Amino acid sequence: MPWVSLLVIVPLVAAIVLALVPQHDRMLARTVALAGTGLTVAVSIVVLVLFDGGSGAFQQIDHVDWITSLGISWDLGVDGISIWLVLLTTVLFTLGVIAACQHLPERGNMFLSLLLLSEVGLLGLFTSGDLVLFYVFWEFMLIPFAFLIWTWGGDNRRRAGLTFVVYTMVGSLIMLVAIISTALIARDHLGHATFLIRDIQGVPFSGTASTLLFAGFVLAFAIKLPLWPFHGWLPLAYGEAPIVVTALMAALMSKAGVYGLLRIGVPLFPDGANTLLIPIAILALIGIVYGSLLAWRARTMRLLVGYSSLAHLGFIVLGIMVFDRMAAQGAVLQMINHGVVVAAAFTIVMMLGRGTGTEDMDRLGGLAKGAPRLAVAFLIVTMAALALPGSNAFVGEFFILGGVFRQFAWMAVIAMAGVIYAAVYMLRMYQSTMNGPVRGVADEGRATELRRGDAIVLVPLILIMFLIALWPRVFVDASAKATDQAIAPAQVVAGRPLIQIAPSAAATRELP
Amino acid sequence: MQTTLAWFVLVLPLLGGITLVAWPGEPPRAATRLIGIGSILIAFALAVTIFVSLLMNAPDDRTFTSGLYEWISIGGISLDLSILVDPLSVMMLLIITGVGFLIHLFSAEYMQNDRDYRRFFAEMNLFVFSMLLLVLAGNFFFLIVGWAFVGLASYLLIGFWYERPAAVAAAKKAFVMNVIGDAGLVLGALLILRQLGTLDFQQAFANADQLGANSGTALAVCLLLFVGAAAKSAQIPLHTWLPDAMEGPTPVSALIHAATMVTAGVYLVERCHALFQMSELAGQIIAVIGAATLLMAATVALQQVDIKRVLAWSTVSQIGYMIMAAGLGAYSAAMFHLLMHAFFKACLFLAAGIIIHALHDEQSLNKMGGLKKYLRVAYFGMAMGCLAIAGFPGFDAFFSKDDVLATALAAGPVGVACWIIGVVGAFITALYMFRLLFRAFFGPGPSGGYAHAPHPSKWWMAVPVIILGVLSLVGGWIQVPFGWTGISDWLAPVLADVQHPLEATNAQVWLTIGFSTAAALGGIALAWWLFAADPERRIRLAAVARGPREVMREAYLFDQAYDDVFIEPGRELGTVLLDDVEPKGPQGLITGTAAVIRDTVRVVSASENGFVRSYAFAMIAGLAVAGVILAIVVAGVA
Repeated sequence: MPWVSLLVIVPLVAAIVLALVPQHDRMLARTVALAGTGLTVAVSIVVLVLFDGGSGAFQQIDHVDWITSLGISWDLGVDGISIWLVLLTTVLFTLGVIAACQHLPERGNMFLSLLLLSEVGLLGLFTSGDLVLFYVFWEFMLIPFAFLIWTWGGDNRRRAGLTFVVYTMVGSLIMLVAIISTALIARDHLGHATFLIRDIQGVPFSGTASTLLFAGFVLAFAIKLPLWPFHGWLPLAYGEAPIVVTALMAALMSKAGVYGLLRIGVPLFPDGANTLLIPIAILALIGIVYGSLLAWRARTMRLLVGYSSLAHLGFIVLGIMVFDRMAAQGAVLQMINHGVVVAAAFTIVMMLGRGTGTEDMDRLGGLAKGAPRLAVAFLIVTMAALALPGSNAFVGEFFILGGVFRQFAWMAVIAMAGVIYAAVYMLRMYQSTMNGPVRGVADEGRATELRRGDAIVLVPLILIMFLIALWPRVFVDASAKATDQAIAPAQVVAGRPLIQIAPSAAATRELP
Repeated sequence: MQTTLAWFVLVLPLLGGITLVAWPGEPPRAATRLIGIGSILIAFALAVTIFVSLLMNAPDDRTFTSGLYEWISIGGISLDLSILVDPLSVMMLLIITGVGFLIHLFSAEYMQNDRDYRRFFAEMNLFVFSMLLLVLAGNFFFLIVGWAFVGLASYLLIGFWYERPAAVAAAKKAFVMNVIGDAGLVLGALLILRQLGTLDFQQAFANADQLGANSGTALAVCLLLFVGAAAKSAQIPLHTWLPDAMEGPTPVSALIHAATMVTAGVYLVERCHALFQMSELAGQIIAVIGAATLLMAATVALQQVDIKRVLAWSTVSQIGYMIMAAGLGAYSAAMFHLLMHAFFKACLFLAAGIIIHALHDEQSLNKMGGLKKYLRVAYFGMAMGCLAIAGFPGFDAFFSKDDVLATALAAGPVGVACWIIGVVGAFITALYMFRLLFRAFFGPGPSGGYAHAPHPSKWWMAVPVIILGVLSLVGGWIQVPFGWTGISDWLAPVLADVQHPLEATNAQVWLTIGFSTAAALGGIALAWWLFAADPERRIRLAAVARGPREVMREAYLFDQAYDDVFIEPGRELGTVLLDDVEPKGPQGLITGTAAVIRDTVRVVSASENGFVRSYAFAMIAGLAVAGVILAIVVAGVA
């Protein structure tokens, strides 16, 4: 069975069916959406079971030649980096659909249909082995998100949607140019036209070409991430989108940028990546501090979490760009962690917003009194979001910093500022809503209390956090080989041989 | 066998806490008590078993490690979830579970009237688990995890009464200060990882000499680790959170902010002494910070009227002694004082807890006096604690503080300076502690008398105070100058790799005993003259040195300075970025561009409602542009 292709086909079919469901039949729409996303989870689990973690190779490939003369093909597969992103996507979309179904807006079938279309885009780009296919899914993801924002968003949704579209389109077009140029240079070298990433890898690009092409790709990725200062669309889009969409954008769409960096940018253009290492790392560091400061002063919870995301993605980009095995493996783990944690954080913002009618944390207070269960869940999510040692997010952060520290100690020291700020802004959000005298509600916050419907969304996320915190090895082992291979060419160019384990480790004194 | 038991010691408090949290609805109070206290009691019994079984082993056969499973393997290193059982960690286990059990017992009555009885015990159990993880961890990673979890438990318990804004603010301050410490500790661990290629304790310590004796790297490692220690142990300049932490319930102050967690910094230096041995300068810096802290905090304690704040500053000061000793290399003396401090400081806090409970949450010394005749148990506990902390001959800090000071005298010029500060500190300590004792228990009652007669406690609260009081009296006899050396012998296997162990000469010991006894008696006498002999004298002397005393009362204005230098500018910068830079910079660029495009599209499509169409337009335009580029490039190549 072409399981990986099914990952894309199943939600696509469900989306089409949803578009055809009569508008008034909300029950049917819910059923179709849940069945579609649920079935996709099942398919992704099959892919995981068939996955060979011992190999770093792109595997389970479904390859069909598409436009033979141009070397474009339908080529889907998974490797150690994409396997967890695929799983994260299918699980988060299922939870997102569950959350959306509980408060389905007008024209709910279309809302769900667009959600599933964006899932198609994400799953497609996480599994593409062909640059053109990657580009098609990249654009495919943009359209439903944009429609979701400007149809179901807040008061300022039109402006938010337009900004989002224009901004990401600019990046996309530059990426398209980069893709075509890459393929043309590769054709000269290989003697036949191809857009297959694994064929192009190994093509030696000249220094200038490598830098320009890398820059072209990275611009598109940087906008999607977003990397400072390309985050102009973020406050509007995150602020105006329906909150389920905001959560999915922050958790998954941002990973599309990181994934592109790791899958295309760094492996194909190691020279260019090394040239731009320091500038990009500096942007990431600025993003960490800048995002943290904005999160500290943000006026709504939604923007607080949004800006914190800017800081956290700075860590991930830093982890990839220093070309250190430990940092890169930590960054890949951190992609999953950030996806889970930010989705949980937005879920809590959603619950608070619904229960109290406001997302402005300064108008709330003391809700722990009426909502003790929510307070516990919120506390756990807060601690994960500020990467308390022992939480899942700390695992990734610690090893990112470990790798960064052994390559560029000064970067790790600056990044530490983000670690400290995270405690300040996350506690601000938790304490100002949950603690202090009761404010902003008539019922001591009982309307926000964790109920079954919300628990179905939140509890699985918290369980995943605990699983990663207690047993990160499972996740790292499966992705380690592919990550190593992705950064290996860049390491070679850098001429920085890995710092190996100190030989002293063998000379340890014997213990009883 | 010992490691298996140690795993149980670690897990039992956690299981107790989880049971309480998971209990559907509010469990009966008796069940809460049984689970909360029982789990700690069993853990204590197991810790004693481990202790006895180690005692039966030969001294060089008292170190065991145990890995539960391979937790991660990343970037060339592998980490187990592992514990290290050795005399040092077992000593900490006994303190944590033993004192922890007594304070749990005390809490059963103290918190009796609180709505959140279950939450209190659950959080206390979480704390005990975290502290056990901290001391049992076999590598830096899980040390950091335990380190952060005790910070979390401390945060939760300081902010236990979460509807009080002061408690919420104090909790946040403690948490953030500790995160700063964590950052130092993490960087220290990362530097060790970079230089030695491992996070495992025993591998790192065995290869500590690869850092290079007295090298810059060794100095950096030690000072980074010490940033963590200073934050947790409330040493200058990261001490300001501890006095505010007194917003938590009193048993919390006794357990976390006096007996156990705040001594974690001392434990860290002891545990990593192999690293600290590599940098003499780092040790001296640490000793000086400890000495400065002990003197500073003692003077601040003199001016506090809140009974818990007196004790809090006294804790800062006493930990200063331990840090000073550990910095100088007097490792067993530091641990000796840590153990004694756990006894007498827990005793003092619990006695204060009886007072606060009896006076319905009154904590001001101005509203106390003459309590001797109402609260016999509290009086006994407070008196024992005061005599002990002051170093009255025969009581426990007499032995441990003198051990610290005498060993300091053997540690060169810096040690001599520390000795002088330590003796002065001992004098001030006796003065401020007996000020507290005399003002609370002696003299007439507060003007207007007590609204309700202070009510004595029941046995739940009395028994722990009596036990701790007796321990404050006799505990010090475990190590007696010219007699026997219980603590040093016990720790000898851990400290075997210390290259130049400090050994005080007989003359140094006698000199120290003479001066410190004189300081203690002098301080007590002065306190008697000022506060007990004539209660009016204090009021007559109120005008003396008003300015300096005001500065001491305000704790040398550290808080205000931090606000002005770090917090306010950061806040302002954030606001400026949010309100001025964001709209004009990153967003301005794009909204400007968007406006241009929108206007163009409007003209082209001539439609007011053209957003969807404008998107389609943008798509088509984009594809057209891309197609043109494609054509040009292809033509060029072909």
